[in-house]
Amino acid sequence: MTIEIKDVCFSYRNSKELAIDHFCMTIETGEVISILGRSGSGKSTMLRILAGLEIPEKGEFRLYEETMFDGKHFVQPEKRGIGLVFQDYALFPHMTVLDNVKFGLSHLSRTERLKRANEVLELVEMGDYKKRYPHQLSGGQQQRVALARALAPNPKLLLLDEPFSNLDKELQYKIREELYSILKRAQITSIFVTHDEDDAHTIADRIVKLDKGKITKIGRPCDMLGTPLKRPEVILK
Amino acid sequence: MRKLSYYLNGWTILSVIIVLSLLSPMLPIIGGLLAPSSENWEHIKEYMLQDYMKTSFLLVFYTAVGTIVIGTSLAWLIAQYEFPLSRFYKWALILPLSIPPFIAAYTYSGMMSYTGVIQTTLRNVFNMPVNQKFFDIMNIPGAIFIYTMFLFPYVYTITRVFLTQQAASLVESAKLLGKGPWAIFFKVVLPISRAAIIGGVSLVSLEVLNDYGVVKYYGIQTFSTAIFQTWFGLGDIDAAIKLAASLMTFVVLMLVVEKLLRGTKQFSYSNTKVNPLPKVRLTGFRKWGAFGYVTLIFCLAFLIPVIQLIDWFVLTWGAIPNDEFTTYIRNSMLVAGIASVVIIAGSLIVGNFQRFAKGRIGKVLPKFTIVGYSIPGAVIAVAIVTMFIWLDRQLGSLYSAWGLDSTLVLSTSVVMLVVAYIVRFFAIGYNAIESGYDKIGVNFSLASRMLGASVTKTFFKVDIPLLKGAIISGLMLVFVDIMKEIPLTLILRPFNFETLATKAFQYAGDEKIMQASQPSLIIIAMSALAIFIFYRLLDKEDAK
Amino acid sequence: MKKLLALVAVLALFLAACSNSSSESAENDNSTASEEVNLYTSRHYDVDDELFAKFEEETGIKVNVISGEEDELLERIKREGEATEADLLYTADVGRLYRAKEEGVLESAESDVLFEQIPEKYRDEDNQWFGLTKRARVIVYNKETVKPEDLSTYEALAEEEWNGRVLIRSSENIYNQSLLASFIAIDGEEQATAWAEGMVNNFARDPEGGDRDQAKAIAAGIGDVAIMNTYYLGQMVNSDDPEEVKVAENLGVFFPNQETTGTHVNVSGAGMVKGAKNKENAIKLLEFLSAEEAQGTFAEANYEYPVNEAVPAAELLQSWGEFKEQEIPLSELGTNNSKAVMIFNQVGWK
Repeated sequence: MTIEIKDVCFSYRNSKELAIDHFCMTIETGEVISILGRSGSGKSTMLRILAGLEIPEKGEFRLYEETMFDGKHFVQPEKRGIGLVFQDYALFPHMTVLDNVKFGLSHLSRTERLKRANEVLELVEMGDYKKRYPHQLSGGQQQRVALARALAPNPKLLLLDEPFSNLDKELQYKIREELYSILKRAQITSIFVTHDEDDAHTIADRIVKLDKGKITKIGRPCDMLGTPLKRPEVILK
Repeated sequence: MRKLSYYLNGWTILSVIIVLSLLSPMLPIIGGLLAPSSENWEHIKEYMLQDYMKTSFLLVFYTAVGTIVIGTSLAWLIAQYEFPLSRFYKWALILPLSIPPFIAAYTYSGMMSYTGVIQTTLRNVFNMPVNQKFFDIMNIPGAIFIYTMFLFPYVYTITRVFLTQQAASLVESAKLLGKGPWAIFFKVVLPISRAAIIGGVSLVSLEVLNDYGVVKYYGIQTFSTAIFQTWFGLGDIDAAIKLAASLMTFVVLMLVVEKLLRGTKQFSYSNTKVNPLPKVRLTGFRKWGAFGYVTLIFCLAFLIPVIQLIDWFVLTWGAIPNDEFTTYIRNSMLVAGIASVVIIAGSLIVGNFQRFAKGRIGKVLPKFTIVGYSIPGAVIAVAIVTMFIWLDRQLGSLYSAWGLDSTLVLSTSVVMLVVAYIVRFFAIGYNAIESGYDKIGVNFSLASRMLGASVTKTFFKVDIPLLKGAIISGLMLVFVDIMKEIPLTLILRPFNFETLATKAFQYAGDEKIMQASQPSLIIIAMSALAIFIFYRLLDKEDAK
Repeated sequence: MKKLLALVAVLALFLAACSNSSSESAENDNSTASEEVNLYTSRHYDVDDELFAKFEEETGIKVNVISGEEDELLERIKREGEATEADLLYTADVGRLYRAKEEGVLESAESDVLFEQIPEKYRDEDNQWFGLTKRARVIVYNKETVKPEDLSTYEALAEEEWNGRVLIRSSENIYNQSLLASFIAIDGEEQATAWAEGMVNNFARDPEGGDRDQAKAIAAGIGDVAIMNTYYLGQMVNSDDPEEVKVAENLGVFFPNQETTGTHVNVSGAGMVKGAKNKENAIKLLEFLSAEEAQGTFAEANYEYPVNEAVPAAELLQSWGEFKEQEIPLSELGTNNSKAVMIFNQVGWK
């Protein structure tokens, strides 16, 4: 049991409805999880809660035995060791590709920092673009840099918010394949959020279907064709 | 409990301290609201309030309309089109801000008067006597003209930056839908720029509401007049403070209402990509039409008054002692420089707190810093004096321990003046910084935190570099405003401390506008230089 | 990071310069404690600065100045209370000195020199303030359309025959407030109100601009007569702008109420601030300013009438002739100030 998410509830200010309604699941090391849902289903909110950008009303979240939050504790996002790739990438426009990637490595020495940055840039095949600024890159290239930046500090968990939404169809297929192989090669536990069934089925080891903040289904892509489960918790154990 | 620990970090504490210390001098004024009515209150109510408020409303309303029309249309022309001198006008249209409105008022009435250049030329050269009615500028329409011409850059600056950086996709899609340039301006540009325009216009309105220099000379009676007549004429400062406090309450209410109304309609820019508006090259009569219009405004709002001042400067050359002017320049630069740097630093901190604050209180609290800008400067001055004397009394034992024989140390130093500037002009700097934060959004900062950087590290490494443009324009606006500030500088300065503005006022206030031309021109030159330097920095930022 | 350092450096530099300039004045405070005098003044004339410099040269006493607007300065002194650094409050109008006395921020000063140089009527009865210069508020008229014989008194200007011909500035101006205050003192509130009402009826236009603007309006043909202070006219006659000179030359000066109550005079003067730390120096400065030399400078450079009877007025002023002044205690102008303001509001004198 690597990652344990228990009974997480969240609602937005000025709203009585729960945006996340008793979310529970556990994730094993190296698994790629997809949270699938329509817009407004709460899937991005869940990602932000895990990242530490939103504060849940209740629930617990443990990452490798370490409590990220529960009734008493709340670990600030920068202390969690979780990587997040934003939907719009949020690459720092005033820094080169290399500086963007090096940003999360300030705990390393100068030479190690450079080495690690080069490593991840090679991993995403962007080694030739180190000196470029983000606005000089195409959408697909920006996405890969964003991925490299998130991977560089070796996060315990990688979160991706709609990783393919800003790309055109053709590029989407290509990147999807690449992402899958990168994630597998890096052996990194990851959760990505998408509204596209295809995406989810292609790369996820397991899919979580979310509707109005509630888990309606959870399981391997091949199991997803049946009727919705009444009590998804049952198969968690 | 968890929530508390999440919010209670250094940033929140620092921001709350900054906002509260900006508000604390206002306490005696707010207290004035509760003071019992004096025997003069009936008289004030019967003979002053209604009419004066009506005049104030007229001035604010028409000036707001005027500055919106001129400011937005210029911003649109400059952001979207290329025509002769358009690159020069891009920054030159900010220059009218460098002319203090009271100097502009004196200059225009001087030019239009019987002995002014226009009438004398008509009379002496063309032998044409004129109907005085058409040359009288010292009335309500005249004051509206002065305010509009010398305050529209507030609207122009903010709106132009917004249009250049944010409007591209909306404008382009409107074009694809077959809309002409006029329809795009009225149907797309005006509505989407609403937030930017409101930001600029609220500064303009407050400036008009509080102005005393122009209306006093033009003999127009506004709410400010009511405050000062009560104070000076009736000698009733408590009632004057009460009036000012009512004004402050009204302004704050308006702002809160506006914020709540806007709250639901706020345009948000989820996208961290900036898509600049491509320029269209104008041709034919459109080119000259645009050029003519922009040039006309520039001449009225800057060139003509400056030429007139230069003319007077030449006429009075040698008539006024000018050996001290380097000191005045140094003093002006010193106080304006320190105050604007402190204001921008404070705004950056409070703005950073504001954008991550979740609750309404956190969002609205910083808005209250505008109270310093919402009432006439002279009333603020009284509040500041009161606070500093109190402070000096508290620190009295400390002073004697240091061997100072004076009991008023802070309140006889330049510190009091600088603090007063900060209280008064914080809102101007904050406005610029807040819109900068709005523009960059929160994702860059969140990304930085997800990469392990603390809020503080993120602030220095990510936010500040991205906010450079906003920082520069904030510094520019505050600096230029302080250079020409009058009531605070007059009342709160230490002994023998003259600035360019006090010098200009000294002559203008004694109806010696010709002698006032020299310090005025230096203020204008220094402010213009500052605008030019800041603009060059800004342009470099844009080009990146 | 480098830029941040630069920013910090700039800030530090500013602060250093700032503390430097304030320590400069602090030094003055200590080393020359007995050789300075602190002045809050609402007169801002270059001639004052010249005189202060001369005083410093002669006596070694440094004159420190904060010049602002009188009511604000008075408020500052009030709030500073006993700790105030101000020794003298120097104002352009006696009404404010009266108010300062009422507020209890002034104290008496005794000096035989002052008593000799400044006639009693230009001093406070308790010697808390001293008049230093005076200005007459006179009628000026268009020489082409008005004969001096048509003019008589201020009161006459409120009569039918001047309908649409009278020019005067707004009631916010202290000189107008003092003028009306003097009428309240002489004729009583009722008559003063009637006069103000009549004046408003006769206005050639809504009040606007300053005293000089009224003179220009006569030249422009907007009205025929205006009420203004003598020294503004003096400045116009000697203006750098030839057009202003032309305007002034076509104007006649008339001293009203010569047969009756006398021409209104307002006095500019200085009050001794309560608890003044440099009282002796302050008295020396007052003595200097009321002595013949300084009084001559006031007269010549600023076209103000000297209070010291030994000093003649400027030639230009003399050319307008001698005149009889109102004979009311000047403190009456202060007493009746707020009443005057109320009357102005009631009759709609903008």
